[in-house]
Amino acid sequence: MEKRKEIFPFGIPGHNLSEIEREIPNDEPPAWPVNDQLKEVGKRVNRIDARAKVTGEAKYTSDMKLSGMLYAKFLRSNIPHGSITSIDTSEAEKVPGVHGIHIITKNKEDGMVGNEYPEIKYVGQPIAGVAAESLSIAKDAVAMIKIEYDPKSFVIDLEEAMLPDAPLVFKEPIQRQEDGGDVGVVHDGSKGQGNLRGPTTSSFYGGPRGDLEKGFAEADVMVENTYRTQVHTHMPLETHGVVIDWKPEEMLVYASTQNTAGVRNELANYFELPKSQVRVICDFMGGGFGAKHSAGSFGPMAAILSKKTKRPVWLMIDRKEEHLAEGNRPSSIQTLKIGAKRDGTLTAIQQKSHGTAGVALGAGVGRIAQILYDCPNFKTEQYDVLTHAGPGAAWRAPGNVQGAFGVEQAIDELAEKLKMDPLALRDKIDKSEVRKVERSRGAELFGWSNRKPAGSASGIIKKGMGVAQSCWPRFVTLNSSIEVRILNDGSVEVRGSVQDIGTGTKTILAQVVAEELGLKTTDITVRIGDTLFPDGPGSGGSVVTQSITPPARNAAYEAKMKLFNQIATKWETEASKLEAVDGFIIHKDDRSKKIPFKEALRGMRTSQISVTASRSNDYGGFQQPWGLAYGDLGSVQFAEVSVNTNTGFVKVDRVVAAHSCGRPLNMSQLESQVNGGVIQGISYALYENRVMDKGTGHFMNANVDQYKVPYSMEIPEIEVIIVEEYGALSSTDAYGIGEPANIATAVAIANAVYNAIGVRIYEIPITPASILKALNKIYE
Amino acid sequence: MIPESFGYSAPSSLIDAYALLEQHGDDAKILAGGHSLIPMMKLRFASPTHLIDINKIPNLSYIKEEDGYLKIGAMTREVDLEESEVIRHKYPIFTDASKLIADPQVRNFGTIGGNIAHGDAANDHPAVMLALGAEVVISSAAGDRTVGIDDFFFGFYTTAVQHGEILTEIRIPSLGPRTGSAYHKLERKVGDYATAGVAVVIGLNEDGSCSKVGIGLTNVNPTPIRAARSEQILLGTTMSESDVAQAAQYAAEDCSPSDDLRGSVEFKKDMIRVITKRMINKAIQRTKL
Repeated sequence: MEKRKEIFPFGIPGHNLSEIEREIPNDEPPAWPVNDQLKEVGKRVNRIDARAKVTGEAKYTSDMKLSGMLYAKFLRSNIPHGSITSIDTSEAEKVPGVHGIHIITKNKEDGMVGNEYPEIKYVGQPIAGVAAESLSIAKDAVAMIKIEYDPKSFVIDLEEAMLPDAPLVFKEPIQRQEDGGDVGVVHDGSKGQGNLRGPTTSSFYGGPRGDLEKGFAEADVMVENTYRTQVHTHMPLETHGVVIDWKPEEMLVYASTQNTAGVRNELANYFELPKSQVRVICDFMGGGFGAKHSAGSFGPMAAILSKKTKRPVWLMIDRKEEHLAEGNRPSSIQTLKIGAKRDGTLTAIQQKSHGTAGVALGAGVGRIAQILYDCPNFKTEQYDVLTHAGPGAAWRAPGNVQGAFGVEQAIDELAEKLKMDPLALRDKIDKSEVRKVERSRGAELFGWSNRKPAGSASGIIKKGMGVAQSCWPRFVTLNSSIEVRILNDGSVEVRGSVQDIGTGTKTILAQVVAEELGLKTTDITVRIGDTLFPDGPGSGGSVVTQSITPPARNAAYEAKMKLFNQIATKWETEASKLEAVDGFIIHKDDRSKKIPFKEALRGMRTSQISVTASRSNDYGGFQQPWGLAYGDLGSVQFAEVSVNTNTGFVKVDRVVAAHSCGRPLNMSQLESQVNGGVIQGISYALYENRVMDKGTGHFMNANVDQYKVPYSMEIPEIEVIIVEEYGALSSTDAYGIGEPANIATAVAIANAVYNAIGVRIYEIPITPASILKALNKIYE
Repeated sequence: MIPESFGYSAPSSLIDAYALLEQHGDDAKILAGGHSLIPMMKLRFASPTHLIDINKIPNLSYIKEEDGYLKIGAMTREVDLEESEVIRHKYPIFTDASKLIADPQVRNFGTIGGNIAHGDAANDHPAVMLALGAEVVISSAAGDRTVGIDDFFFGFYTTAVQHGEILTEIRIPSLGPRTGSAYHKLERKVGDYATAGVAVVIGLNEDGSCSKVGIGLTNVNPTPIRAARSEQILLGTTMSESDVAQAAQYAAEDCSPSDDLRGSVEFKKDMIRVITKRMINKAIQRTKL
């Protein structure tokens, strides 16, 4: 590929904006200037599907009603550990309206030794499914299946699971589930013994660094503490589920999924079908935070029931099932030891963690301790502890949210020992230029200078201020393609399998394509979330924006050049002399020569121009060739809280969240995502908590009544600062923001609570009782 | 979350309702706002075979001052209490309580009669009624009878309302001059049932000493409970800081909360102590309004 040189904006406007020359392949579009000089990109453009969503016209998976459709319901285990000795479906089969029942049996590769049913390892494990003419018939039939168990002893508590005589969850080495999304760090389930797996000591940023002993010997000041985080389940508005119509020629799947292409691959593989005969559609998504990458157990169940009954089958799980079985953010118990010199320079960081993802792996605490701060000597040991509880899954910034809760409190504790302001210490040890800007702009808006010494507030209700930082890798899914079609009436269509998880992917694709074609965002029709179209990335790891907007722009650019070539021939000029601006195609040297975009294709030989483009490599290359881009997605969040020292109740009064995501594409959508991340962070810090009953192994609060998430009344004022940061890395230079939005909030609140009451809380959720206990007001 | 099947009638008079109660026997339930009953049916904790919907019966929704009482019709919605001028000015304890009940959707339909007749110690009105010394009018084909609030709650979800009877009115003895009332509950987050709640009514003599006191507690006992020792120690005193602290301490000692996801026994008792003190002081302050 021939290359050319191109000048790109580089750096942070208002701070260090400059230019950089990059050599880029010739087929890449010209560099975009900073957002100020663009018309659609970077603006507060309304969501193109806002009307459909607020009027209820938008059809979600659970809304699908196909002709002859049956409703399916799972039978799930009522015991945490044991084997199934018999299942009798005869009564259930007789229920009028029941069309099919399927019992899950061991896979062929499991050997089918002895018992043919898989061992039960947690309450809520799927056992069988019933398809019936209505959901209530299916439920009644499920209740009539007779099942006998041979129960075995179980363990649901992390620390008890580590005892030598604890009941074993798996006797054999295990593998991390595929298609589960990124779950923190790569775990090897073949190491370890008993219920312990690990340790994981490295990540794609490398392994241990330097010499810990030497580092701690050089330290003037040390902090060592243990931090605990709870199991946090997924609560998207729309639960997991599918509607599947398995026709002879094609398996048609409507899925509430973060990854249409992934679900297609999974189902094709499971049923040994060609990928071309499985079509997965997710037009509107009712929320997903990491656990909706897979076809799960509901996908195969609905498919089998559809095949058996020759009817479409609707299988959306209910809220209780969502809590029990469809993923959670694993717990953690993290011990951190950090050494520093008198001036704040870090000399050593040692991290050891245990966490439980129930019957799954993935309880690592991420990469925050490893890379957020400059430190020559570093070691981590992260263990998974298996328990008889529902499987963990990716959950918005897997690992990093838990990791930040430890690291960012420890850094604050260090600052106090060093008698430094928490921001001043971070200025010293954080090499990130963008976080430096976020700290300074955030501190100013927040009023950080009004912060008082910890515990100095008087009165019953004490106010406090806290800050915390985050980082998240810039992952790029290189297998990301998208098609742009210009039709002969001038309408433009964008098509891809990439789904809009709800963050506004459809809108940013329209913005990028409109910008390139000199049109309005509303001129572009976006048809995505359908595997009929080119494969795009899954909506996980905050990868979508950086993976799919460059190919969208490149496809639009290439289609435009094809159009220009045709017009240039007519006008007896060259394509390079034309530009597309404000709905016209114009001759740059003779601006009177112009044609409305809508008319440009008329009279052409073909009725459309269609271009599919794929993600090209970053202009400056990658940190890791599989798609780890340079830079990170950093944030700094500030929180102000009020703590009632009589009742222990904590109210978050205010959050200022300063974030970066390369070139911002849509300010309103970015703010919306950060708001969501902050709200989930508040919920994680103060409310949500899976409570298991040790006597029965049941999840006690698997509902919306007792599993607390905030109402609007608990939500504080949230102010969002988006820092533009140009890296000249791709044709859009834009990145996602979904996960970074959720990392720093809980620990910023913990630091603010400390500032308010002068006593540190080492465990979330921070409850009124935990505050009173810390204040020695009640003794448990 | 789907109830078992049930029959449904919506009579247009109390006479018809009594007849339906007679006809359907013990398995019939009265449906008022439905915000306690319907969830219990959906969870299949309750499976009445017949619902008698009294929403169409006229003249059961009112707030009026009459014969030395504030009379509230059983079908008065929470939102009506919230918005009533009489209540806001003279009985702010109701305004305090109504605002804390669930969420606006529930308050638009939930009724005060249902809140009390449900016999749930987690509901907010029972404690308020205990503090106010309310009387409950229970009607049947045989006529009306009046039961004092202290004799109303029998046990877990059981009250003085017997089969064939319908709770029709709540009567609050008019509060004299120099009276103040207040209610507050702690909730894990807005809309939750109380972790602990306290209702207080205080009346003052002209010399400022305590002439009247009522203290009711929410969700810290199997049945709604009056903090009797706390009342006794305040009556006749000037309600000094130490009197109030002692009253709060007694309330904490005398309640019997259970350990659950809202908190431990010890935590809830301590919250009763904190809130009792706060509500006594707030009620005293309101005597001056």
